[in-house]
Amino acid sequence: MDTAAPAPDGGRYLAVHHSAEFRELRRRSSTVTLWASVAFFGWWFLGSLLATYAPDFFREKVAGPVNVGLLFVFLSFTFVVTLAAFYLRYARTRLDPLSEKIRADLEGASR
Amino acid sequence: MSVVLADPPPPVDNTWATPAIAVPVTVVLALAVLYLVRSARASTTTADGFLLADRRIGPVQNALAVASAPLMYSTMYIITGHIALSGYDAILLMTAFTMGTMLALFLFAGPVRNVGGYTLGDLLAVRVRERPARMASAVLTLLTYVMLTVIMMAAIAFIFNRWFGVDALVGLVLPVFVVGLVTVGYVYLGGMLGVTRILVFKLVLSVVVVGVLTAWVLARFDLNLFSLLERAEANAAPVPSGSDLLGPGRLFGEGATTLVHLSKLFAIAVGVAAIPFLFMRNFAVTSGRDARRSTGWASMIIVGFYLCLSVVGLGAVAILGRDNIGVIKAHRDISFPKLADELGGPVMVGSLAGVAVLTIVGVFAPLLHSAVTTVTKDVNVLRGRRLDPAAELKDIKRNTLIIGVGSVLLAVAMLPVRTHIFIPTSIDVAGAVVLPIVVYALFWRRFNTRGLQWTVYGGLALTAFLVLFSNGVSGEPDAIFPDRNFKFVDVEPALITVPVGFLLGYLGSITSRERDDAAFAEMQVRSLTGAVATGPARPAAVDDEDRDGRQDRAPSPVS
Repeated sequence: MDTAAPAPDGGRYLAVHHSAEFRELRRRSSTVTLWASVAFFGWWFLGSLLATYAPDFFREKVAGPVNVGLLFVFLSFTFVVTLAAFYLRYARTRLDPLSEKIRADLEGASR
Repeated sequence: MSVVLADPPPPVDNTWATPAIAVPVTVVLALAVLYLVRSARASTTTADGFLLADRRIGPVQNALAVASAPLMYSTMYIITGHIALSGYDAILLMTAFTMGTMLALFLFAGPVRNVGGYTLGDLLAVRVRERPARMASAVLTLLTYVMLTVIMMAAIAFIFNRWFGVDALVGLVLPVFVVGLVTVGYVYLGGMLGVTRILVFKLVLSVVVVGVLTAWVLARFDLNLFSLLERAEANAAPVPSGSDLLGPGRLFGEGATTLVHLSKLFAIAVGVAAIPFLFMRNFAVTSGRDARRSTGWASMIIVGFYLCLSVVGLGAVAILGRDNIGVIKAHRDISFPKLADELGGPVMVGSLAGVAVLTIVGVFAPLLHSAVTTVTKDVNVLRGRRLDPAAELKDIKRNTLIIGVGSVLLAVAMLPVRTHIFIPTSIDVAGAVVLPIVVYALFWRRFNTRGLQWTVYGGLALTAFLVLFSNGVSGEPDAIFPDRNFKFVDVEPALITVPVGFLLGYLGSITSRERDDAAFAEMQVRSLTGAVATGPARPAAVDDEDRDGRQDRAPSPVS
């Protein structure tokens, strides 16, 4: 960090922060973060609660030796892969273009 | 005996260790790592090169490194025996480790890199006064470093007992020295790029050996997963609670102790991703976008890897039978080598022994690098040392040796102490302290210096208090003071400390008048876009105190 460089421009950040574009970016980002987290950790903690407080349900056989508990683990793994892929795709197509534009405007304007 | 090692690995009839193969394999791997690290030397000629690889770690390389760093002796070698013995409950514990990467993906991997910097302190200093930010960062990073290093060095002794058949106690202390000091040398030579290459190498080898073992186990059952599960279930020894291997309840029983189980799952799921040395890697990635992608890919890699470990763990009991696996808690780590011996013979055991040593090297190296980074960027600022680049590089190199060698000596001195409590404690600290301050710094407008300090020091004090009265310290045969019993905390402290950590940060922030909407705007804009505005200085602040140190720092260069 070069201490001689100019300080960050708080005014400009505030202006961007209040701009419609940035608000839209923040709204999209918060929405996807919130729902992805709620869905994923909701699922995971619900499963953990069931495993600890309703073990008989998790022991219920589904097919052959596979019970509900093992199915839950397997579905969790599948969920990790699909949700991570969904999130990366959403971020790439819905967040990045907007954030690139805001960044270009901000850095272009300050040079 | 116990003067030298805290829990000398309980003697087992070690029929599988083949040092004649394991030692050459380990030496070859050590030389291969030396080559990888030496080829990274060119990147360590500047301070930024040593600390951040000039932020040139690409997404693929970083994904492999992120997936690799949390693989420790316990999360890879003990856990398989744990699954063979405790079945479903152990599998659930293991999967909790994958949950943490999702937290990192959604909340902070990309934003942290977008903001830039070197340490947690750089991130916090955007929002709060610089000195407290750097103090918190140094305390948290170094505390985690010491706890995890001590435990990693102890794991080396276990590896040499289990995989190399070393029984003499001197023979166990010597490898700890050698492996520890060689790792210090690797970090010294290779810096961030070298450490990343070690991690990538470790992950690739681990995936290969575990993949081969998984295929081998499945081949034994004609690729029929159902018959593997049935055999595992049939082979499992009965437990007092009467639970089957594939159902919950085997490890933690039912009734009051179920909360213990839940608390451990919770601690791992929310804590692991926030361990400082794990998320500090993100600073070295090419961009915020690449940090995000690599974390997403890493979560997919980890899931696949742990799925294989479940098969291997259940395969151990299915193939070896109930009496041939490690049947007591302290023997859980013999199931894996025994299975390897049964399937692949001495060659497989020897190869796995080398990979086991590399696993520890691949945790100690990034740990040491994180400690050096925080000393250079946080502690030096706290001490008022501002070094020019050449002096800084020299300082970094010297710190690597001092901290590295010092901690190896400390770890050897700590071998007689039972320290297994340090892994869950560092996870508790990450969940109760690091997670709240990072989340508040990134997302909450009101967050300020007092909120930071209440979370950090309140969270640490509460964690220390709860750990002191937990079963790792007294009241259990494997506690630090096995003969005393002053424990009253059964659950994993994180169940209490994580909510309290968030609450303290909230209360501290709202009771302080400090408020800086401009800093919040800066954090949000930078963390979401990676943009860095330069121009005339910020308008003068109303409250002088809350701005100290913030204006004299330029935003980090974003490449």
